Amino acid sequence: MKGALAVSLRDIQKFLGQPVLMVSTIVGPFLTLILLGSAFGGAITHAPIAIVQESYGPYSSNFIRILRNDQTCQFGGIDCQNSFQLRDVPVLDTAQEMLHAGLVKAIVYLPLGFDDALAANSKVTITVTLDNTDPLSAAAIGPEVSQAGQQLSSLVQTSSPDSSNNSSMTFDLEDAYRNVFYIEFMAPGSLIQSIMFVSIIAGGVQLVVDKERGIIEGYLVTPLKKYEIVLGVLLSGVFKALFSAVAVFILAVAVAGVRPMSIFPNPNATQIIMTMFTLFLTSLGLIAMMTAYAVRSTSADLYRVTCFPINLILYYTSGAIYPLNGMPAWMQDVSVINPETYAVDALRLLMYKDAGLPAVIGDFIFLSIFSGLMLALAIVAFRRGI
Amino acid sequence: MDLAVQTFGITKRFGNFTAVDHLNLKVGHEVFGLLGPNGAGKTTLQRMLVTVMAPTEGTATVAGADIVHEADKVRERIGVVTQASTLDVELTALQNMNLYGMYYGIPRKERQEKIKELLKVVGLADRAKIRVAGYSGGMKRRLEIVRALVSDPQILFLDEPTTGLDPQARAAVLEYVQRIHEDHGITLVITTHYLDEAENLCDRLAIVDHGKVVAEGTPIELKRKISGGDIVEADLSVLPEKALKALENADYVLGVKKRDGGLTILAKNGAEAVPKIVSLIDSNGGKLRTIALRELTLDDVFLEVTGRSLRE
Repeated sequence: MKGALAVSLRDIQKFLGQPVLMVSTIVGPFLTLILLGSAFGGAITHAPIAIVQESYGPYSSNFIRILRNDQTCQFGGIDCQNSFQLRDVPVLDTAQEMLHAGLVKAIVYLPLGFDDALAANSKVTITVTLDNTDPLSAAAIGPEVSQAGQQLSSLVQTSSPDSSNNSSMTFDLEDAYRNVFYIEFMAPGSLIQSIMFVSIIAGGVQLVVDKERGIIEGYLVTPLKKYEIVLGVLLSGVFKALFSAVAVFILAVAVAGVRPMSIFPNPNATQIIMTMFTLFLTSLGLIAMMTAYAVRSTSADLYRVTCFPINLILYYTSGAIYPLNGMPAWMQDVSVINPETYAVDALRLLMYKDAGLPAVIGDFIFLSIFSGLMLALAIVAFRRGI
Repeated sequence: MDLAVQTFGITKRFGNFTAVDHLNLKVGHEVFGLLGPNGAGKTTLQRMLVTVMAPTEGTATVAGADIVHEADKVRERIGVVTQASTLDVELTALQNMNLYGMYYGIPRKERQEKIKELLKVVGLADRAKIRVAGYSGGMKRRLEIVRALVSDPQILFLDEPTTGLDPQARAAVLEYVQRIHEDHGITLVITTHYLDEAENLCDRLAIVDHGKVVAEGTPIELKRKISGGDIVEADLSVLPEKALKALENADYVLGVKKRDGGLTILAKNGAEAVPKIVSLIDSNGGKLRTIALRELTLDDVFLEVTGRSLRE
């Protein structure tokens, strides 16, 4: 028994001697609590919605006012403020293009004759087209728009002088796409996760380990140039990351039931190529970023421990598991500069929305700039750090 | 003379500590040994010569190129075996060799032939396709040495090539190193703290201590430097002060060093001196346990020039 005490004393002494490891056991779970709690705890607010207004009158303007105004809502037992970010779009076709490009989450269509029909005691139908590739947003937006309709209804009833207005409003909630499951919504984030994992374990950290083992010196005594060494490391890293991401993609399709439109029912070569290009740019950017970081890290231990929170922050603020609209402002701010946000966005557009190049070009530009910067950073870091 | 290595006041300082201190050295096309205790500065010197560390002051030419301004040329012309293994143990010997050849841009066909031949030289041809992780320490070392030869270097730098090996593996490694020099005519620069290694292997030696060359020459020259005499080891159970004095004053004794349990005496002519030493100790009240004549070793040289023993 004394032996067991000695062994445990040894472990505890070693543990206490490594404050970084200790901190990591606290920071990781706490960060998860903050990030996940903040993400999933919030209602989806300020979702962008396109209003296609073909009827102008007191009823339609009231309805829009109700939609625009903040209102109290209940979401999963949490009281929240809700409102939409309305965009006036003159033509339905334009609104649909915006929906496909992911610029708005829903279209509310007030057809010609809406006001007249309400005034004339008739039935009216408001068509709400939902971007159901974001199932959580779609599930939240539909009922909220209906609620705004009910408010308008009661307004119409009470405002009628004889209380005899029998007009009724029905909502036609229609999905813009085939039913998309939450697991499919999450899948793009998992592809990016596999790239991030490869970046952490197989990118620059091997350099750090090699440096600690003295293997880098084996490189440095050969005619290899330093930039050749770093480019070689990045190249193999990208290869490994792509391999891993494609493997996860295949597993998602074969096992998890993910059905990308780029493959089902008819494979679309352009979309598949653009999907691969997204994965390539993301791999290059993340591998270069983690290589630069690893090369400048003082020890492999410190690197490993700090990678965990970096990965958490990037993953949770990318919109990979929950719509960005549901996150607190600070997380949304992080998401704007988070490369994974753009990667996840591009993948979703390509996988579930039948998107073409114009829809994803913005994501490509961001990812290209990010990868270029990280590549330069990695080369500079390598020159100084090794 | 066309020199393989020449240093010009090469110096390396780490903060206040001077590891290599204005060191001047000339190495011809030979097997050259850098001998010194741990921390003497020999590894630092070698790391500067192979261009992985820049000198604080001074410079050197290696294989005809300047280590500071023409580092690329130096790297193309040398092979290096570092103290810590730089093999990729997850890969096979063949893969390790092949990659190294690619770093030097050697064409595929030439590379493959070269590798085949080299693996044969060190007796690893039949194990070329197993992972290095399964190799013994001696096999790894041999592989590392021939790997450095893939690029046909003019000079091969070996840093403590036999450290950590058992005597048998050491002998094998040394034998191959010797053969490489003889068959390929490559200049070898070897750092070591093994005296026998330096004595048997090296054409010339420099003894390095505190970052400076304290003695230089062939093993025989170095030994001659302190002698013209022989070493007599005397073990005594009783050693009175006056016996020691008498010995020091005897005209056939060149020097006396006290050591644990006895004396090391440098005598003019060993065979004649031994009986005289015996009677002198006896007549001064000393009690002799054993007395023996032995040949001078590099350790004696080392002791003489640095004031301490390498074996300590």
